[in-house]
Amino acid sequence: MNKNNTQTNSFSLSNDKVSATILLVPALIFCTIFIFIPAIGTIVGSFYSYSLTSMNNWKWVGFGNYVKATQDEYFWVALKNNFIIVFASIVLQVGVGTILAAILDRGIKYGRVIFRTIIFTPMVISSVAVSLIWLIIYDPNVGILNAIFKSIGLSTPSKGWLGDPNISIWMIMITAAWQNTGFMMVLILAGLQGVSKEVYDAAEIDGATGVKAFWYITLPMIRNVLIVAILITTIGAFKVFEFIFVFTQGGPSNATQVLGTYIYLQAFNLLHMGYANALSVILLIIALFLGWLQLKSSRKA
Amino acid sequence: MNFLKFITKKIYLFIFSLFLSFGFITSSYAVDITIWDLSGRNGQDEFYDNLNKEYKKINPDVNIILQTFENEAYKTQIQVALNGNDGPDVFFNWFGEDSARLARAGLALDITPYANVEGGYGNYISEGLSNTTAVNGKIYGVPNTSVSKYFHYDPAFFEANSLAVPKTFDDLLNLCRDIRAIDSSIVPWPLGNSERWKLNHVITMLNQRVVGEENTAADYNLSASEDELFTNPAYVEAWQKVVDLQDAGCFQDAPNATHPDLTRSMFASQISPMIYCGTWCGGIFNGEGFSDFSYFRFPEVVGGAGAATVGFLVPSGMMVSAKTAHPEIAAHVASFMVSDDMALQAAELMGFMPSNPTKIGEMSNPTHWFNFYVNDIADKTGHVNVLDVLLEANVSNAYLDMGTEILNRTKTPQEAMDFIRQVALEAKAAM
Repeated sequence: MNKNNTQTNSFSLSNDKVSATILLVPALIFCTIFIFIPAIGTIVGSFYSYSLTSMNNWKWVGFGNYVKATQDEYFWVALKNNFIIVFASIVLQVGVGTILAAILDRGIKYGRVIFRTIIFTPMVISSVAVSLIWLIIYDPNVGILNAIFKSIGLSTPSKGWLGDPNISIWMIMITAAWQNTGFMMVLILAGLQGVSKEVYDAAEIDGATGVKAFWYITLPMIRNVLIVAILITTIGAFKVFEFIFVFTQGGPSNATQVLGTYIYLQAFNLLHMGYANALSVILLIIALFLGWLQLKSSRKA
Repeated sequence: MNFLKFITKKIYLFIFSLFLSFGFITSSYAVDITIWDLSGRNGQDEFYDNLNKEYKKINPDVNIILQTFENEAYKTQIQVALNGNDGPDVFFNWFGEDSARLARAGLALDITPYANVEGGYGNYISEGLSNTTAVNGKIYGVPNTSVSKYFHYDPAFFEANSLAVPKTFDDLLNLCRDIRAIDSSIVPWPLGNSERWKLNHVITMLNQRVVGEENTAADYNLSASEDELFTNPAYVEAWQKVVDLQDAGCFQDAPNATHPDLTRSMFASQISPMIYCGTWCGGIFNGEGFSDFSYFRFPEVVGGAGAATVGFLVPSGMMVSAKTAHPEIAAHVASFMVSDDMALQAAELMGFMPSNPTKIGEMSNPTHWFNFYVNDIADKTGHVNVLDVLLEANVSNAYLDMGTEILNRTKTPQEAMDFIRQVALEAKAAM
């Protein structure tokens, strides 16, 4: 009897393995074609010098493209801008998203659904469309932002909101925050709604209400959700492309260049495909590290 | 057994239907020729509809399929497409370094053998014009038009304020100052440099006027020695002229944040009295409701090495993909686009300055701007190609970047040229 059971179990186990393998094959095929092969191609290409118009003329340069990156002033500008965007996105999107979520969760009694919908709406619009709309808002000649500033007696930047290298990156950040804060708010709101009301009731008895309750009860209770939100924002900030490309194409004078747009510039405008591959590998390593962090914290959450 | 018979019958039926389908396909064999062109040209759809109809009269089995792309996106997409297997058969390009690079890389077809066949482009356009597409003595394109640039101005405003058309660069500076003196809120010459190429066109002309085309040639094609490459001090002087224009109040406050389309609208709505704009602009101004404009050439720079009779001219037209499955038909379609009748239609419908002027006299009601452009281009003693088409990609990008820096005053003219020289030296070393 026992022998039969063992045979049945081992048969069903191997049967399960076969089923699992069959079910995984389509996904593996797609991943291989669209992710693994291009990724390997990019890594291999990063050791060569070639361009989009000389695909049959690859020249081995070893680690030359990586060395070039370390000496490239604009690569460091792009990397620095990515970190600025990470920092600003965390403050603007996660920070403001948390405040909005807290207000919607416990701060107001009526209209929660309406406010939540309004704040979330920009998220469903394409980033390119959002950028084009804000491009008109920021226009130094006919834009509404200049008109508002002038109407209240404030001066506007003489080089334009997007033409001044000192402020253009921040203007793009504001637009990105406008679009993405709603998503962070919904994510954090879900975390907040998972916090038991009994905890607040108990805290109230001990005298912790309002901001105090938020600081000592809410934030520690949603810590893991916040970590996930920060990691999603960080990864998004490293992948940013559309906003920069539509707004400034990395200008003025490379002031808003990020890794995504710089890779595009090198690959398609300056025709340094090998170098662009090397920059992509660097971005891939950063993204993999952040992805690993996200996975780790997600499991914890 | 019955089951086997059933299956065998089905297989026969399948094979039979396959033969039928094949027969059907081969009996209606047709060739699709895909053309990639820029979008947004007035009359473009009508022109291509007519091209398809007219071409079918001589070759009924050929379908011409048009796909259009936005200007900036096109520059990248065409390179990607030509490397893939699903690219166009015939495609638009500006003739200069961009087209030469495609030819050198083997992505564009050598169409020299198709020049003088029946209906070949050699029957319609001059050899000199064909040679603008040549690389190592082989022809790679069929120019169908050329674009030039002029100052367009509002004569009513000039007359009302007793302003004269400038003959020299100093006159132009004074004109800007005079307009600002009339009303400081009027922008004399709106400049939309958010895409960087607008100022690039201005510096193209300033380099020609100040440095002179004979002195720029060796620098532009990177054949000058390393000690001499872009060291002519006149290049710095040319950039200084841009600073002078800005100081004279010619431009609005934030040219690097202003889109070129907006500046065209500023002129068309008569908010600004003049603009430096291409031969494609006349139709745009007219479309926006302003047709009473006039024109003048980029003024002479007194003491400069370049003649004032030389103008800006970028030939553009069609190239044939080296990967086309139908090279002969594709080259023939490209040639047909510059045939006498189609060149006339291109001029009438799209406002092209046709590369084949045979029937230009037959145009019905040509616009005043069309007549001016055609006659003035013919009057010029020479032409210069625009820097962002002519220069090596990295040097071109450096010139574009430095335009932004100069307008933002984040680099001086000398610093700008030092940077361009450095990039040019690296590009020369990599050649």
